[in-house]
Amino acid sequence: MFFLSKFCCGQNHTLEEITKSIEVKTNTVIELNATILFFKQKKWDSTLVYSSKIISVCNDLDVLDFCHFFRGYSFLEKKMINESEKEFKSISENFKYNYFSSMLLGEIYIEQRKFLKALNVFEKILLTANKKINKTDNLNRVKNNIGLSYFHLKKYEEAEPYLLSDLMIQESNKDTLNLITANYNLANLYYLQYKDDLAISYFEKAYKLSGNTDDLQAKQDAADNMAVVEENRNNYKKALAYRKEYEQWKDSLSNQNKIYEVAQLEKQFAVKQKQQEVDLLQIENKAKDVERNGLLYSALTLLILLGVTFYFYKEKNKTHKIIVAQKETLDALNATKDKLFSIVSHDLRSSVNALKTSNAKLLSNLEANNLDALDTLLQRNSGIVNGAYNLLDNLLHWALLQTKQSYFYIEPLRLFFITEQVSHNYKPLLEDQGLTFENSVLKTAKILADQESLKIILRNLLDNAIKFSKPNGQIKIYTTVNGGFCNLIVEDTGLGMSAATITTLLQDTPNLAKKENEDIIGTGLGVQLCKSYIQKNNGVFSIESTLGKGTKMIVSLPKTT
Amino acid sequence: MQNINVLVIEDRPEESAPLLDTLTANHYNVIGVARSFKAALELYHNNPVDIAIIDIFLDGNPDGIAFAETINAIPHKAKPFVFLTSSTDRALFERAKLTQPFSYLMKPFNELELLYALEVAVEKFYEQPDVFLGDEEDTIISKDYLFIKKGKALKKVFTKSIIYIEVEEKYCNIFTEEEKFVILISLTKILTLLNDAVFCRTHRNFIVNTEKIEEIIPSDNLILLSGQHKATLSDTYKDILKRIRTLK
Repeated sequence: MFFLSKFCCGQNHTLEEITKSIEVKTNTVIELNATILFFKQKKWDSTLVYSSKIISVCNDLDVLDFCHFFRGYSFLEKKMINESEKEFKSISENFKYNYFSSMLLGEIYIEQRKFLKALNVFEKILLTANKKINKTDNLNRVKNNIGLSYFHLKKYEEAEPYLLSDLMIQESNKDTLNLITANYNLANLYYLQYKDDLAISYFEKAYKLSGNTDDLQAKQDAADNMAVVEENRNNYKKALAYRKEYEQWKDSLSNQNKIYEVAQLEKQFAVKQKQQEVDLLQIENKAKDVERNGLLYSALTLLILLGVTFYFYKEKNKTHKIIVAQKETLDALNATKDKLFSIVSHDLRSSVNALKTSNAKLLSNLEANNLDALDTLLQRNSGIVNGAYNLLDNLLHWALLQTKQSYFYIEPLRLFFITEQVSHNYKPLLEDQGLTFENSVLKTAKILADQESLKIILRNLLDNAIKFSKPNGQIKIYTTVNGGFCNLIVEDTGLGMSAATITTLLQDTPNLAKKENEDIIGTGLGVQLCKSYIQKNNGVFSIESTLGKGTKMIVSLPKTT
Repeated sequence: MQNINVLVIEDRPEESAPLLDTLTANHYNVIGVARSFKAALELYHNNPVDIAIIDIFLDGNPDGIAFAETINAIPHKAKPFVFLTSSTDRALFERAKLTQPFSYLMKPFNELELLYALEVAVEKFYEQPDVFLGDEEDTIISKDYLFIKKGKALKKVFTKSIIYIEVEEKYCNIFTEEEKFVILISLTKILTLLNDAVFCRTHRNFIVNTEKIEEIIPSDNLILLSGQHKATLSDTYKDILKRIRTLK
């Protein structure tokens, strides 16, 4: 039945003013800024934390007062009344807004039902700070509180003027709720003094006013109060009507609450459903993503697989081609080898056969003591044997060259000595055939070559020159210089050869040249061997020839520098 | 002049016989034919060998290379040598080539090839290339001998037997106790290669074996040498007087 009235209006203005006045000081203490910010945002806990920091650090009394104020207010908002009281008490007398903090302190005392203390505080505010309180709101509030304090102290006479003035003020303010409260305050005042008529008039006023508001709680309270009033007047019918109205308001209030709750629940449910849908969609999306990624990966894998397969296929084709090419060359080489075999064995067979018949003749001549014939026969035999030996020697070197087993070392060589050494073996043969021989290679001619292969080349060239020479012919060996090369020339005045033969002889193929002069033993192996060795010695082989006049075999080898 | 002493290491008589014939025909002195590695070493150490002809294969083993490696390993006892071989097998040659200086003779060979191989071996061994093969010079100088090419053959002269050398343009007249002969060699080369503790220049054209000096007559610019030889002493080279131990 007792209503404590508090004013909320005007408070915000005052708070704004307070925070503004302290913002000037934010430069001095860093935490102050945060404190003010949190205070403005009504984050009370944070405000408490930052302000406590400031208190522990700061010495500025002014700032400290503000902090205590912020803390007190925050505690008050958090309904920690005792803490709040302590903080407000800590604020010094000099605090600019002391009246405001004192007012809050007084209200705390009222809350604590320490009405005497509250009254002291409020009266002190009225006495000391009368001039300072520029806000009528706050002044009214203080007066109202004084009235309330007197009321609770049961000093009804003292309370009456304060509460009446409050009612007047509220009427002029046209704040229905506060007006209702003011009416109640007066009604209660008179009621407790048993001035029931006066009290009832205020109650009724309040009840009428409550009809103008939407506040169900106010309507309910008004109806309840009227019910009690009518009950006390023993007007039970009316009391019952008011009681019913009270019930009605109470129900509608609870209904409103229920509807509100149901709406809240429905909302929650709808949100949940939506959330579920969203979740479902998300899951679907994820599944789709996974599916898409899977497809992508499998496509990639397939592509790579295809690439690899293609690569290997190409490689296989390449190797296959190489193998085919190699097979062809090998076949050609094998054919050459077979041909070589047949020619060599044919030549050797005829040589040995000639030797056989010659030996038979030799024996018969020996029996017949025909010594003159022996000499010619032996000469012929040695010629045949020489030819066969050269053939076998070439064959050996050919084999060595093919298998690369032979020692090969290019070094500076004096050409003269090599030609002398090689031609030395042919001296008897040359004499026998009536050929003149001339070695005019300069002693100073030095070339780069492998000695043994150079000897083989020279041997074959001389061999050919003698073989294709006509009786009383001439064979010359000489050198000419051609840039970085030294041309070693073996010249004969023999049968010569056609240009076609030269081209076939100089061809890069390993095919053996056909025999042009059937009656002269030769396989073409010698020339092939020369060509290969000259190439290996970094030289060049060329032939100049005129049919019937003679041939020049030219070996160009690098000179020593 | 003496003939060159050749040691032949060849296990097959039918191969060594024509070799010996060719050597003797060209005035080489064959001091022995070894048929085995052991015999070769014995002959080598007991005779004044000038050059060795080594068949690579002795009894089917490449003992010839082993022999060359052995004599190469003895300092101051190494002599020129020529490998004799019938195969140009690469692996074998690679091993033989490690016995520097490497010269070889391929079978079958003729007289010219043999003589050429011997000359090349001497040239390579004494590190004086292009002496016998060129036209400019004909003498190689070792610590103990002059090797001189006379016609097709090589000869040697004991350096200690030289009394003095008279230089005449590209030629040098060598005077020994027994004979006088001419060699083709440049003055600078003969001066760098001869032992300058023994041989001294006394005149721009004279190099004298100080051990053969019998008397020096500075007033007449004359050096009297053993065997009635005389050499001129010019003012430029009078430092020689300080170097020679004189009896007082």
